[in-house]
Parts: sequence; structure tokens; C-alpha cells
Amino acid sequence: MQPVTARDARRRKGKRELPDSYGFEFSAMSSVCEIRLEGQGEPQLALAAQQAIDEVRRIELKYSRYRDDSIVSKINAAAGSGKPVPVDDETASLLDFAAQLHALSDGLFDITSGVLRRVWDFRIGRVPDQAALAGVLPLVGWSNVRWQDGAIELERAGMELDFGGFGKEYAADRAMAVLAATGLRHGFINLGGDIRVLGPRVDGRPWRFGIQHPRNEGGTYATADMTEGALATSGDYERYFELDGRRYCHILDPRTGWPVTHWASVSVTAPACVAAGALSTIAMLKGEQATDFLSTQCVSFLALDPLLRSFQSGPSVGRPFVLGVRT
Amino acid sequence: MVMASVEVAVAATKARDKAGAIIAAALSLPGVNAHAESAPERGEVSIKYLDYRDSQPGLDRIKVKAPSIYVLAPLSSQWSIEGSAVSDSVSGATPRYHSAISGATKKMKDLRRAGDVKVTRYFERSSWSLGLSKSKENDYDSRAVSLGATFSSDDNNRTWNVGVGYASDKIGSTNDPTLDKSKRTTELMVGVTQALTPNDLVQVNLSFNIGRGYYSDPYKEPDIRPDRRDQRILLTRWNHYFTGPSATLRSSYRYYSDTFGIKAHTFGAEWVQPIASRFTLTPSLRYYTQSAASFYFDPVYDPDVGAPYPPGYFTNPPKYVSPDQRLSAFGAVTVGLKLGVQLDTDWSADLKVEQYEQRSNWRLGGSGSPGLDPFRARFIQVGLNKRF
Repeated sequence: MQPVTARDARRRKGKRELPDSYGFEFSAMSSVCEIRLEGQGEPQLALAAQQAIDEVRRIELKYSRYRDDSIVSKINAAAGSGKPVPVDDETASLLDFAAQLHALSDGLFDITSGVLRRVWDFRIGRVPDQAALAGVLPLVGWSNVRWQDGAIELERAGMELDFGGFGKEYAADRAMAVLAATGLRHGFINLGGDIRVLGPRVDGRPWRFGIQHPRNEGGTYATADMTEGALATSGDYERYFELDGRRYCHILDPRTGWPVTHWASVSVTAPACVAAGALSTIAMLKGEQATDFLSTQCVSFLALDPLLRSFQSGPSVGRPFVLGVRT
Repeated sequence: MVMASVEVAVAATKARDKAGAIIAAALSLPGVNAHAESAPERGEVSIKYLDYRDSQPGLDRIKVKAPSIYVLAPLSSQWSIEGSAVSDSVSGATPRYHSAISGATKKMKDLRRAGDVKVTRYFERSSWSLGLSKSKENDYDSRAVSLGATFSSDDNNRTWNVGVGYASDKIGSTNDPTLDKSKRTTELMVGVTQALTPNDLVQVNLSFNIGRGYYSDPYKEPDIRPDRRDQRILLTRWNHYFTGPSATLRSSYRYYSDTFGIKAHTFGAEWVQPIASRFTLTPSLRYYTQSAASFYFDPVYDPDVGAPYPPGYFTNPPKYVSPDQRLSAFGAVTVGLKLGVQLDTDWSADLKVEQYEQRSNWRLGGSGSPGLDPFRARFIQVGLNKRF
């Protein structure tokens, strides 16, 4: 998820001598990331930012699919062996969360759906044939995961877990908690568009985040002003290819194995980034039921369909999204 | 001002409750909800001004003007302090017995000053608070101390709260400088708040109060009440959020009984309707009904001595007796309307108007105490709030 750019830098220039705002950019989880802080002097802020970045890297390493020694690799390697893999408390919490998301989304949010990548190659841009798709679909399904007593077992050989569906959002939340624990109150963390706000700017003003235009790379079509909580966006423009006038995006329906088509972009604000990210992804998968679904989740959202018609709703006070580009 | 802090507490619960099921699941992840039970991050000041007047047919009775201030300040992420102060100036005529204002009764004029302060310490899943309050009038002093705690479940869907309180009151009288009485009350409270669905919040509170001391009204004649009053209160609330109109219905039922023999029921409903992005309109309706205290006597007086003494008062004196209209059997309806406006992100203002009417024959399931005039009261309150 890489839709949102967060900058308020222009405002800072040449204005009154407000306390300095410091941005710490880094690269993690295949994304451009930034921590922006206000408050004390740069050395203290840099120290806090480094602790938060360390937390992001810890989560990245622990749940990477690309490292053989990660817990995810161990679980995947044991798929179909009949041997449950015991997990630590943090992983257990995330698996519980994944199980809840699966149930609350009527099966749409499924952390076993990563195997569909074997047949969908977005770099080459080719639609898989039905036989290939039919070959991997049986490997998709949380119902074929035995998760009990602190141990997990993927029942079919070839199944894979992928924490990518909420790993980056979880890291943003945890990094924010690290920042808060250092006593800082003003700033945000942005992991490739998954944003968690630590607190408002020093003078109490909100941070302003731009929402990526789904058909105009580098452009934004709306902004969100936030003093707390989290913002995440899912879109059909992050990884996709077009063929015969049709767009095939990377968000795949675990029931059919096919890309979703109803929405171009869904942005959600929620108290935690894991919630905002999961809700925006589920909304993409829900299709035309997305707006009704999000309304029951008591969050603010802004959705754009492929014809660039916008839909938004949420609690009437403090609705964060404003269409158009503000400076 | 107790009301103000209750509203703040309810607002905080509601903010958490509004989270949908997925938000609740997310917030139960370790380290994700850094602010679970943390102290409020921003302070709040609100200034309110209440104008109250009540009347009975042909008679304006008491007028109250009460400015008040409430301050909440976070001290750190673990500690907060809040306090309030109110000053009531009361003027008007108060009935000496039943609805009657005796010609000899001086018009009362009284000034009450009251304040309270509460310190709260927040832990990851619980909070503890200690409160002190004090109230002073020329004929009534009260001091109270309270200790409260809340405990939240891991998913934040359930919160238990327990509290104990102790109050010590001193009672005097401007009519009788020698009157020097006291009253002590111990309060015990336990409650639970549960989010049933993303849109439904229910709360059940049980309170038990044990009171000992002087309960009689030194300004009423004759008025002799028991020196103990134990109270049992059950309060249930249900808030439902309607996604269609984006409005919240707050409903409540309260059952009260005490050892004076009063049993009371209160049914309340409020509809909180946001309008545009700045306004909130809240119409409310409340119905209250109570039975009379066992020693309340109807306005039927001794044929020989006359008012205000009940028949046989001197020949066969009752142990306890009171003509206080508040101890009679009656029903009462309150209708109210509140308009709130969010001026900007930090400033908000509100205006609340309530009209109260009490009548004997509005009592539920009975005729109510006979011979009493209806009683009406009107509240107008304006408030200005700022977060900082």
C-alpha cells in the first residue's frame, strides 16, 4: 500500500518561529517511510525516531517471507507435514487477529491468499489460465488452518501464510507506541502510506495528509487532517497491469482468485493502523457492499470508484477527508 | 458539577465503544493501543451558567443562578487532575409545609459554594481515582471523599467500575442558631459497561448507600424524620447508534428504594442528532414516579389545632412525620432540548433548556398524594468549552 504522501513542509518555511519539525526518512518493508516529530531538540527526537525505526525493522525481520529463519517461513515450511508449529505470544496475538478479520469479513480477509501470487505475475502482465488458478485455489483458505493451543498447522502442503496484509500497519502502530513511551506527543509515522499519528503538531494544529490520486501518479485528490488515530488506503494502482482495456490489480478475491474491480481506492481512518489497513482492504474486496460495511464499523472513509466518483461517510463531527487539493 | 464529570466519563466510554468489531480486535493487539487507559492527552475547561426557577400556580418560588467552572488537566501520561467549582445564589420563598407559604416565612436568600477535585492514575488496563469535595452554605456544610477504580477487559469491550464514598454533613438553621446536627453517608457502587455490538453499549450500576444522622428539615413544621436512611439504586442504560441518521438513542431506567418507604422509577430517553458537521441537537424526555414516604402526611389537618398539624398530632404524637412535598407520591415529566455547536476544533458551546412538571395524579399505578398544587421548574443552561 503506497498511496499517501504526507507533507506539510511548505507550511513550515518562512513562517513564525514555531518549534522545529524534523523528518526522519528511511526505507523498510519495500516502502519509503518517514517519522516526523515536533517538540524537543533534534538529538532527543533523533534518538526516539531511531528506537521507533528499530521496532519497524524488528517486525520486518520477524515476519519476512524472504528469510528462512523467520517464524512465517518456519510455519510455511511445515505446511502439510501434520506437525503444528508452536509460536510466541506476539505471533499468537497476530494469528488471533487474522482469525477475527477472517470471521468479521465473511472470509474475504485471508492471510493464506498469498499463494495466488504464484499464478498472478504483475510484472509480466499475463492473465493466468483457469487450470493454473484452479490448481492453487485449494491452497487458499483459513478454514484449512489449524490454530489452537498456541501452535499453528497449515493442513495442506503448499499452503502459505503471509503477514503482509497487516504487517506494515502493525509496525506503524507499534512504532507509534515506542515514540509515545519516550514521552513525545507530537508527530506521526508513515510506512509507505500506512500512517499512525502520535499527536497533533506542537501548536495543536492537525497534520495534513494527501490521498494519492489512483489515476495520476504523484497527484493527490483529497486530503485528511488528523490529530490522532491512523489512516490507510488500498487501491487498484499499487501493482497492476492492463490488458485488453481491463485493469488487473494485486488485490485478489480469495474465493475466486480474481482481482477486485469495484473500487479504485478506499481510504479509512481508525484509531489503529491495523484496523484502518484491514478495513480498507476488506472494503476493496467487498465491492458494492463496501460502503454499507464500513458504515457499521464506525469509521470515516473515502472511496473512489473507477469512474472517479467519490463516496464518503463517517461520524459527522471530525470527518477528516476533504476532496480536492489544499495547500 | 458531578454531572459534568459523569458526562466526560460517558463521552470517553462512548468514544471507545464506537469502534467497530474490527477496531476492537485491532486495539487488543499488544502494543497497538498505546493510549488504552492513558491519561487524557488534552485538557479541558468549561464554564457554565445555570438559571433555574420554579413555581406553583400563582406563585413564583425559588430562583437559582449558578455559574460553574470545570477544569481537566493531564499531568503526564499516567496522571490527570480534574476539579470543579460552583456558586449558587438562591433566592425566593420556600414552602413551610405542603404547598403553603406561610405569611411569616421570610424570603430565603442563600449562597452555596461547592468544589471538588479528583486525581486519577492510569494503568494499562485500569485506572484509580481519589476525589474530595466540599460544599458550604450558611446552614449546611458537607465534605466527602471517594475512591473509584475501573478495569477494562483485554478487548476494551467491557469495563467494570467500583467505588466507595463517605460524606459527612453538618446541619444548622438560620431560624435556630442552637441547631447543630450531623449526618454521615457511606456509598458503595459497582457497575459494568459492555459493548454488545459496535452500535450498542449497555451499562448496569448498583449503588447502596447507608446514611445515619439528622434528616429532618429544620425549616418545616412539623418535621421529624428517622435518623437512618438506606438507599438502593439500580441504574441501567442502553445507548444505540443508528447508522442511517447517524444518531444515538440513549435510554435509561433507574429503580430507587429507601428505608423512608419511597420507591421510585425513572425512565429516560435522549436522541442525539448531529446536524451538518457542527451542530448536535438533543431532545430529551424523562418520566419519574415515586410512592410517598411512610411518614408523609396529606394536607388534612387536626380539626382542633388546624394547619400545619396532622390529625391527632398532639393527642397521639406520631414517631415520624413530614409534610415535605418531595416525600409525597407523585409523577413528574421533564422535557428538554440541548443544542451544541462545535465552533472550531477546540471551542464548543451549548445551550440547554428543560421544563419540569410534577403532579400528584401523574403517578404511575396510583392516584398520588391528594391536595398538592402542581409544581413546575425551568432550567436554562449555557456553556462554553475549550480544549487545550
